[in-house]
Amino acid sequence: MKFLFKYMLLCSVALATLSSCVESQDFGQYDEIEVTPTLEASMLYVEAPESMINEAPSNYVFSQNFNFDAFSYDEFSERVLDGSVTYVIENTTSKPLDITIEFLDEQDNVLGPVDTFEIPATPSGEQQYIVYYGDAGYSIDIIKNTSSIRVTAVNRGDNSSISVEADPKVTIKSSAKFRVRLK
Amino acid sequence: MSLRRILSFGLVWMGFFVYGQNKQLVYDFVEIPQSAMVNPGVETDFQWYAGVPLLSGISLQAGSSGISVDDIFADDGLDINDKIRDRAINGMNPRDELSGTFQVEFLNFGFRGRNPAHFFTGGIYLEGDAIGYWFKDYAILGFEGNADKLNQRFDLGHFKTRGELVNVFHFGVNKRIDSDLTIGGRAKVYSSIFDFNSTKNRGYFVTREGENNLLVSTLQADMALRTSGLNAIKDAYDEGNTAATVTKRAFLGGNLGLGFDFGLTYHLNEQTVFTASLLDLGFIYHTGDVRNFTLNGSSTIEGIEVVLPDAASDPNTDFWEDLVDEVEEFVPFEENGDSYVSFRPTKLYASLRYNFGETIRGRGYCECGPDPGAAANRNRYVNSVGGQLYAINRPRGPQTALSAFYQRRFGHLLALKATYTVDKFSLTNLGLGVNLQAGPVNFYVVADNLLAYRNLAASQYTSFQLGLNIISWGPR
Repeated sequence: MKFLFKYMLLCSVALATLSSCVESQDFGQYDEIEVTPTLEASMLYVEAPESMINEAPSNYVFSQNFNFDAFSYDEFSERVLDGSVTYVIENTTSKPLDITIEFLDEQDNVLGPVDTFEIPATPSGEQQYIVYYGDAGYSIDIIKNTSSIRVTAVNRGDNSSISVEADPKVTIKSSAKFRVRLK
Repeated sequence: MSLRRILSFGLVWMGFFVYGQNKQLVYDFVEIPQSAMVNPGVETDFQWYAGVPLLSGISLQAGSSGISVDDIFADDGLDINDKIRDRAINGMNPRDELSGTFQVEFLNFGFRGRNPAHFFTGGIYLEGDAIGYWFKDYAILGFEGNADKLNQRFDLGHFKTRGELVNVFHFGVNKRIDSDLTIGGRAKVYSSIFDFNSTKNRGYFVTREGENNLLVSTLQADMALRTSGLNAIKDAYDEGNTAATVTKRAFLGGNLGLGFDFGLTYHLNEQTVFTASLLDLGFIYHTGDVRNFTLNGSSTIEGIEVVLPDAASDPNTDFWEDLVDEVEEFVPFEENGDSYVSFRPTKLYASLRYNFGETIRGRGYCECGPDPGAAANRNRYVNSVGGQLYAINRPRGPQTALSAFYQRRFGHLLALKATYTVDKFSLTNLGLGVNLQAGPVNFYVVADNLLAYRNLAASQYTSFQLGLNIISWGPR
């Protein structure tokens, strides 16, 4: 009887081991995993006082290229899917301004359409513009190939008046928000 | 899916979803010679034993406190990305522990000394040990990014991991002090094959509303990753001599360390026994092939800032490069080869056992002579019941487990041990161990969390251990 008990126990253990199972798994789902975070950060801040506008020899207040390699790193440019650039422009000077933002490639060629924002004189408050890239906007290739950004400010008013605001100036704030594919 | 991908995925999964091995089934299972490896002060009656090389002790444990393979890869028609988001990213927390241990014995032997109260053990085994905590905030950043998460701090301290592959040379002595007390100690020399650890990271990344520009990004980091041996193995892999390099490093050609085990068995009365052991109280000093990486500092940026007209005074100014240089200056990513010390994951076991039922005559050879207490050969009871405690030192503090057990002996042929274990990972962990003694041949197999065998993929914890030994109890 004792032997019978022993061997029954052994058989039970063996059966338990052999009867272990794994429910149906589909490891092919690995290929369907999508890792597409959306990253956001400030891009460029430009500030120019009214005195600079008044002192400009022509109505071109400034036009300057800023090297901007953030978009051209392979880790970004090869993975970016879509997104947007937000501009917030505030003009507390006494004259209206045209602000033009151009994205340039390594040879300083202008990429895609040029955005010109017409900013009224003070008191105009903050003007916000959102430019989309990808399926819902401009070609994402503009971003992928951007090596520098050119900002141009043109004075559409006089060059002698002085704003009543304290510390009159034009400020251009911008941030980028893009979705990238990590997998 | 390619074989390489499957292997890589399997290794990653195993590496992250196994956790430190609690050998509650082998602990104090005195019929198994390997019980001396978890308590050097175990009460043993062998004259000698020898493990079959590579087969005397194989153990592997796999589990996860937060998620199972089935949670992600079940063929259930749900979108895998939703499952990852709900069950991993949002379902796990930074205390979820993902770690593990495996051991393979190359050599294991034991023999009784001239003084029969002394029993010596020795051998060599390979041990891999790794732990990683769920890097929750990194996962959120990776899957969702930082957009629309103003003021949310991403904790860099969530990256906390360590791991190693080490060959251990050990020799110990077990001494029966009297009929009630047996103590034991073991010295270990560690030969590290590779090691990595990154356990004291602090800092955060946060995006807030900017002061000048729209957003301000702040990175404050105090992070370090220390490694040894990995570079040598990578170079060896490139040169096609990985096996030779690993073997050399395993046999005292790597970084060396020293450790000790201690243990005791004490009979509180005829039927009640207390045991305890402290294992791997030791360290490894890493001096060779060390590569450490640090990221230390603080930086706050709002993108490129151009304040005219001053900024236009130098037409050659590269604002972007200035920004990058500033970040690199304030949060430098550096590399060094400084030596470091790593401490072994120390383990603590304790048990209280009550024996009852019929007794079985002890098998030990007894030339008791004038000092019968020194070589007492106790009878054993067919039944034992009791409780065990296990604790292991981990980067986020001790991890503990409590087990209740019942042990049944069937003569000298067969012994069974069943356990029920509770820890932070499982409340339904039932284990069973079988020790079979056929003449001098000893075979044992133990398995944990048996209920999970109904669907292994859904298991968060699975382990087994087996071994083959030759045992002698001396002349009869």
